[in-house]
Amino acid sequence: MRASRSTRVALLVYGIVVIFLLYLPLISVGFASISKARYLSFPIRTYATKWYGEALASSTVIELFNTSLKIAVIVTAVSMIVGFFGALAFARYQWRYRPLFQKLILLPIFFPQTVLGLALLIWFNTIGIVPTWKTAVVAHLVWIAPIATLVIAIRAYGFDPALEEAARDLGASTFAILREVTLPLLMPGIISAGLFAFLLSWGNFPLSLFTTGADSTLPEWLYAKMVSGYSPLVPTLGILSVLGSFVIIAVAFTLRWMVKGRQAE
Amino acid sequence: MAAPIILRLKGVKKKFGDFTALHGIDLEIEEGEFFTIVGPSGSGKSTIIRLLVGMDDLTEGEISLRGNRIDQVPANLRPTCMVFQSLALFPHRSVGENIEFPLKIRGVAPAQRKERAIELLDLLRLPREFYGKRIQQCSGGEKQRVALARALAFDPEILFFDEPLSALDYRLRKTLEKELKDLHERTGKTFVYITHSLEEAMVMSDRIAIMRAGRFEQIATADEIYARPVSRFVAEFMGEVNLFDVHGTPNGGLVGKGIELHVNGVARDYGLDLGPEARFTMMVRPESLRFLPAGETADIILQGVLTAQYALGSRIQYNVETASGVQITVEKLREDAFGGGIGDAVVLGFDIDSTHLIGGE
Repeated sequence: MRASRSTRVALLVYGIVVIFLLYLPLISVGFASISKARYLSFPIRTYATKWYGEALASSTVIELFNTSLKIAVIVTAVSMIVGFFGALAFARYQWRYRPLFQKLILLPIFFPQTVLGLALLIWFNTIGIVPTWKTAVVAHLVWIAPIATLVIAIRAYGFDPALEEAARDLGASTFAILREVTLPLLMPGIISAGLFAFLLSWGNFPLSLFTTGADSTLPEWLYAKMVSGYSPLVPTLGILSVLGSFVIIAVAFTLRWMVKGRQAE
Repeated sequence: MAAPIILRLKGVKKKFGDFTALHGIDLEIEEGEFFTIVGPSGSGKSTIIRLLVGMDDLTEGEISLRGNRIDQVPANLRPTCMVFQSLALFPHRSVGENIEFPLKIRGVAPAQRKERAIELLDLLRLPREFYGKRIQQCSGGEKQRVALARALAFDPEILFFDEPLSALDYRLRKTLEKELKDLHERTGKTFVYITHSLEEAMVMSDRIAIMRAGRFEQIATADEIYARPVSRFVAEFMGEVNLFDVHGTPNGGLVGKGIELHVNGVARDYGLDLGPEARFTMMVRPESLRFLPAGETADIILQGVLTAQYALGSRIQYNVETASGVQITVEKLREDAFGGGIGDAVVLGFDIDSTHLIGGE
């Protein structure tokens, strides 16, 4: 069925609005990052790439990337493992407390992140842990592991339980079933969950703000520089951060493609 | 020529909470037999097969394979295997990898695995190129064959089937029924098959068990079940059938209730006591009834009006209503079709030898 004329016009208008509202700001940040001026102003008069050079040479910047990356990588790895087993409990196996588990797991996601961050900070203080980037890992996990679990659970729901029964019937032990059937079938979901986990951790501000202590992540630094003492490095680092995300997305898609490709052989 | 018993069930009972799915079942299956359990949904046939392969635990009773109890053995250690209703082929593995799965689990070397997989492709008349094919690229019938090959690669003592043909279209089902029977003969293995279709069971099976509400109603050959069902339930299970309530007469004859059905002066030993108080159901299959032209007679004659007729392919089905309002179904081969039309008065006849009496109501 072809769309009518009015539908096509409506779609066009919708598309233009989306592009203006969502993508124009991103593009303008891109332009700002290559402005020669010290302060953000439009129109941009002269362009330069010197801020990129400065950013890459700055030890602060490298330190920031380092901290954000450490947190994101650990959060991703743990989320994938916890999410895998969590998803099996969530979607695959019947057990007594499953309905309760399914509801509890959603709780951290519904909680406003700033409140969650503050609550965790108070908690860390109470039990006498000094907040560093390591406590931020824990904080991120409280929020991100449930999301990873849900992402994998969606995949697990589409899984025919007869496949595991068939594997057992054909002689496979519980471990062999996990290795030969369950894990490979959920792998695309696990990779997606890993991608989500990384991006959510990499860009997270509210949880990091409360729980990194003396350490600082990239989003925290960007925020700090915007509220007090603007640095021309802000748009530059913003763009670098986005590029970092793109690399991760590319890696994840390549992995997914490889998994699918291997399955397709 | 009784073959040795390979599988024996003794008093097998299964409860789900308060619901009893199986009421203490006894069964003996012979080595090399094609045995089919038939029943409507909820009759307990799937429960039996899940107990047999070890996916559920029985509540009471014993299951033994060649005299060794297996009911407490975990599913992955039982020497039996099953073709699933959904087939349960691994979508992330190729056809070859699916077939090799049980061998891989056993640690067979890749070269030997492949050799066996190719043999099985040949056995199931699948082209060897299928070895590297994706499961998703296979048709319904090809998937069936791959699932069978995978089960045979396991080399089971008994091969179980849980309605594997139910999702296929009619033609393919008919073809695969014959292939399965043929495969059974070629492999000589014991097949235990579950289905809701008695027609399917009859094509393939050496013996058939009819299940109803967690019990076996009748266990017999296809011919026996068709010609001499032990209950109305079994009689009605296989398509159309005419059932008349009858009771005995003092002189040892039979009289129908609510229908002009007199059986007098014709002797037939039903092996039942036809005393005056005895009540029975008389069964006549629709193909045993004849339209009687004037001047011809039969042991039992019924008069009525033709109310409907349906083309069933090679046969035609007729509905006749008697004066007392009893509906009778008749089926004739196309070449023996009744010449008249709807609304015609007809005379139907059948012989006492083509009837079967079911005891009780």
